[in-house]
Amino acid sequence: MNFRKAWFSVFTIAVALVAACGGTSSSNNSANQSGTLTVWLMSGSAPQSVVDGVNADFKAKYPNITVKVELQQWGDIGTKLDTAYAGSTPPDVVELGNTLVAKYAAAGALEDISGKKSSFDNSGTWLQSLTDSCTVNGKLYCVPYYAGSRAIIYRKDFFDAAGVQPPDSLDGLLTVGKKLMTAHSSDPNFSALYYPGKYWYAALPFVWDFGGNIATQSGSKWTGGLNSSSSQQGLTTLSNIVSQLSKADKSGDEAKQDAAFAQGHIAMIIANGWEVGVITDPKAGDPSLKDKLGAFAIPSHNAGQTAPVFLGGSDLAVAAKSKLQDAANAWVQTFTNQKNMAQMATVGGVIPNNTSQLNLASGLNSVFFNAAKNSRFVPNSQNWANVENANVLPDMLVKIFTKQQDIPTATKAASDRITSILNGGG
Amino acid sequence: MGVAVTTPDLESAPRRPGPLRVALLPYALISPSLLVIAGILAFPLGMLVWLSLQHYGLRELIQHSGDWVGLGNYQAILADPLFRQVVVRSLLFTFACVGLTIALSTLIALLLLKVRQAVRVIVMSALVFVWATPVIVTVDIWQWMFDYEFGVINYLLTQLHLGNFIHHNWFDSPIQGWSVFVVVVVWGAIPFVTITLFAGLLQVPADVVDSAKVDGAGPLQTFRFVTAPMLKPIFLIVTCLSTIWDFGVFTQIYVMLNQRPSSDYFTIAIYSYRESFGVTQYGLGAAIAVVLVVILIFVTLFYVRETVRVAEIG
Repeated sequence: MNFRKAWFSVFTIAVALVAACGGTSSSNNSANQSGTLTVWLMSGSAPQSVVDGVNADFKAKYPNITVKVELQQWGDIGTKLDTAYAGSTPPDVVELGNTLVAKYAAAGALEDISGKKSSFDNSGTWLQSLTDSCTVNGKLYCVPYYAGSRAIIYRKDFFDAAGVQPPDSLDGLLTVGKKLMTAHSSDPNFSALYYPGKYWYAALPFVWDFGGNIATQSGSKWTGGLNSSSSQQGLTTLSNIVSQLSKADKSGDEAKQDAAFAQGHIAMIIANGWEVGVITDPKAGDPSLKDKLGAFAIPSHNAGQTAPVFLGGSDLAVAAKSKLQDAANAWVQTFTNQKNMAQMATVGGVIPNNTSQLNLASGLNSVFFNAAKNSRFVPNSQNWANVENANVLPDMLVKIFTKQQDIPTATKAASDRITSILNGGG
Repeated sequence: MGVAVTTPDLESAPRRPGPLRVALLPYALISPSLLVIAGILAFPLGMLVWLSLQHYGLRELIQHSGDWVGLGNYQAILADPLFRQVVVRSLLFTFACVGLTIALSTLIALLLLKVRQAVRVIVMSALVFVWATPVIVTVDIWQWMFDYEFGVINYLLTQLHLGNFIHHNWFDSPIQGWSVFVVVVVWGAIPFVTITLFAGLLQVPADVVDSAKVDGAGPLQTFRFVTAPMLKPIFLIVTCLSTIWDFGVFTQIYVMLNQRPSSDYFTIAIYSYRESFGVTQYGLGAAIAVVLVVILIFVTLFYVRETVRVAEIG
C-alpha cells in the first residue's frame, strides 16, 4: 500500500467516525452489534467501487457486522421478493424499483421509517417523484436511491452523413428517421429508431404527450385511460414510427438494445443515460463509438417542446422483519450520503436522489438529467406491480405493432385489465 | 419398523405365522414408503387444496394467514374464458408432444436394433448427453438458435433458400411458436423414451420374431402383431409419464420467452404461476394447480388402469 492510499483510508475512516459520532443514538452500541446484513441490489445499479466504499465506511462503524451484497436480476425479481418477504429472514436492505414499493409497503413487508427521515442526507431535497413512490398512506417506507429518465441516444456520424439534425417534434422525428432509412437502404438490418415491441417505458411519453394517461384515480376508484382518444393518438404515432423506422423484434424486449446498437446498424434508441456506458463498454459494446454518440430529449408533437418521460428509478427499503434494522438503516444512510450520491451521479451516470446534486451531470448526462425535470410516474397504487407482472402494457404493444389487433381493440382490452387490477381484481 | 416385525419369524421359521400377523405384515412392510409418499406428496398437495380455498394475497402471505372463501377461487377460474382456452391448449399441446415423442422414439429404438454396435454407441451417447444436460441450459441454446436477430435457424433457412427468414420472429404467430415448443419438448423427451423402449425391444425373444418372419409376416406386421403387444406395458408407462411431464410443461416456454410469456403462450402451469407470483393471487393460483392435478388424474387414470390390467394378466 502506498502512502496516498494509506492516507486515503485514514481519511475515509476519519470521515466515517465523524459521521458515526454525529449519527443517531444507536451508534453508541453499533460496535457491539453483530450478525450478517444482507443487502439486495439490482444488477448494474451501482458501480462496484461505490458499493465497496460504502461497505468499508460501514465496517468502520459496525466492525462486527458482515455485509453481504447480493446482486439480483430484474427479470424475476417480483417472485423472489414475494418469497423472501414471506420468509422469516428476508434481506435486511432491498433495492426496490420505484413502481414496486407501494405493493410491498401496503402488504406490511417494509419498515416504516417516517421518524428517521431527517437522518438521511439531502432528505429535504429528495426528488419528489421518488419520495412519492416511497410514501404510502402518508408514511415513508423507503429512501430514494437514484432516478433514471429516458432520452434518445443517436449516432452523430449517421446524422451528419444523412445531413439531418436532431428533430424538435415527433413529425420531425419521423422525417429524420425516413431520411436515415433512405441513406442506409442498402443495409437490410438498419433501423433509424430501434424499438423492441415490449418496451413499454418508452411508449409512455407518446401517450402522455398527447394528453393521454394509463389510469386516473377518483376517490379510491381507478379508471384505465389507455383507450381514450388522446392515448390512442399517441400510440398511433408510435406505431407509425415503429413500423417505418424499426427493424427490432416487435415481440422482443429492450434487454439487448445496447448490444444491438453497438453493432452499428442502428441510428437511434430510446434509452437511459447509463446505457451510454453499456454501448461503449469494451466487453459488451464498442468503445470506438464514444465520440460518435449524442443525445436529445424525446420531442413533443408540439414543435419545440419535449414529451414527458417516465421517471424510473429505485428506492432502498428496510424489511419490517429485519433483525438488524438499526444497522440496515445505517447502511442505507451511508449508501445515500452526499459523497456516495455524487459517486453514483459521476461514476454511475444515474440521476442522484436529490435536486441539489443535479448539477453534477456533464456531457451527455445533462440531457438525461434535464429530461427528469419533465417526468411523470405510473399510477401510484399498491396494485400497480400486478399490472407490471401481468405484462398488460407489453402485451398490448406487441398486439399493436404486430397488427394482431387494431389500436382501439388492444387499448380497450389493456385498459379494462388495468382498471380491474388497480381496483384490486385480477 | 418392518425389520422389528419380521425378526421373530427368522427364529421360528417352520411355524406358520398366525392370521393376524399375515394380515399386518404387508402393511408393516409398505408403511415406510407410505410415510415418505405422504410427506413429500400428500402433505404439499393437501396444503395446495387448503390454499385454493382461501383468498391469499401478498399481505396474507407475509402474515401467514388467509381469508376463507370456500369454492370462490374455483368459481372465478371456471368463469374465466382465458382459463378454458389455456386448458384446451395445454391438452392439445400434450397430445401432439406425447404422440410425436412415442412415434419418433419407437422408430429410433427400432433403428438401434438394426445398426452396427459402433453406431449404436454413438447414438446412445448422444441420447444420454441430451438427457443429462440441464433443461435450462438446453433451452438457452434453443433460444439462441431461434433468436430474432442472431439465430442460426433463421440464417440456415434463408441460406437454404426456403424463404426469407432474416428478422423472422418465431413467436409472433402462436402456431409457429407452439410448433417450436413442440420441437423443443419432444427433442428433450426422446432420449428417455427411446432408451426405455430399446431396453424393452432387447427383451423381445428373437425366435418369436424369427418365426413370425418364417410365417411370412412383413416388418410392419411383425411390429404390429408381435413386437408391439409384447412392449405394451412399456408403451403404457412411457405414454403415461410423458403425458404427465408434457401437461405440466413450464421451463421451456417460460425461459424461451424471457420469463414474460404473453397469454397466447400460457400452459396451465404458467397460468397458475402467473396468477400466484405475477398478480399475487396465491389462492387463485393454487386453485388452477389443483384443476391441473385433477385433469391429469383423469387423463392418466386410463393408462394406470391398463397398466394394472396388463400386470394382472402377466
